[in-house]
Amino acid sequence: MRKYENLVIVKPTLTAEEIQASINAIEEVITSNGGEIAARDTMGMRKLAYPIEKNERGYYHVVYYSVAPAAIAEIERRFRINEDLLRFVTIKYDTNREVAAWNGLVEKANKAPEAPKAEEAPAEEAEATTEAAAE
Amino acid sequence: MSEKRKYKKRYCKYCEAKVDFMDYKDVANIRFSLSERYKIMPRRLTGNCKRHQDMISTVIKRARAAALVPYTVTRKQVVTAPFENLK
Repeated sequence: MRKYENLVIVKPTLTAEEIQASINAIEEVITSNGGEIAARDTMGMRKLAYPIEKNERGYYHVVYYSVAPAAIAEIERRFRINEDLLRFVTIKYDTNREVAAWNGLVEKANKAPEAPKAEEAPAEEAEATTEAAAE
Repeated sequence: MSEKRKYKKRYCKYCEAKVDFMDYKDVANIRFSLSERYKIMPRRLTGNCKRHQDMISTVIKRARAAALVPYTVTRKQVVTAPFENLK
């Protein structure tokens, strides 16, 4: 089992229920191929940096999961067939450092919906450190 | 000259912050190593070390594929809203 991350951009022309249904379908593809979803991160409707298929906006959704490396080809094939998706990006977390980062990201994604206040404090600290570094 | 002065003090910003891993979804942090036209800034101007420059370049390319950061910005787009996506 290897750690992966998938970012998918769903078409903005769909209604809210249809978007939710297509996201459920995406997660179903991962789980049906033996993947274990660790966390999800909904970034929501965002402006795209450049138009994709003449769409200016897109609904971003990120899924963190672990799956056997051989299943990735099938998962990507299924994503390519799916016409609700504008774009998907699969990231592999392989080295020890990357896996540690993956664990951190999963923790962050799991924490966010439950305790938004706890999430704010470390974010501010991070900003403060970057500002200090800039000076 | 102003360009030169901006990067006069050369040190790796990421080494200073002890960055071990960069997330491509975190556009605000990537921004430092991108030019006005969203080209990847060379090491000689930003002062990044080789290790972090390699990291940032892969991260920027991922962010471009995910439409978080544009590949190119035309003159028209520069005038209208170059940084709107970051807010």
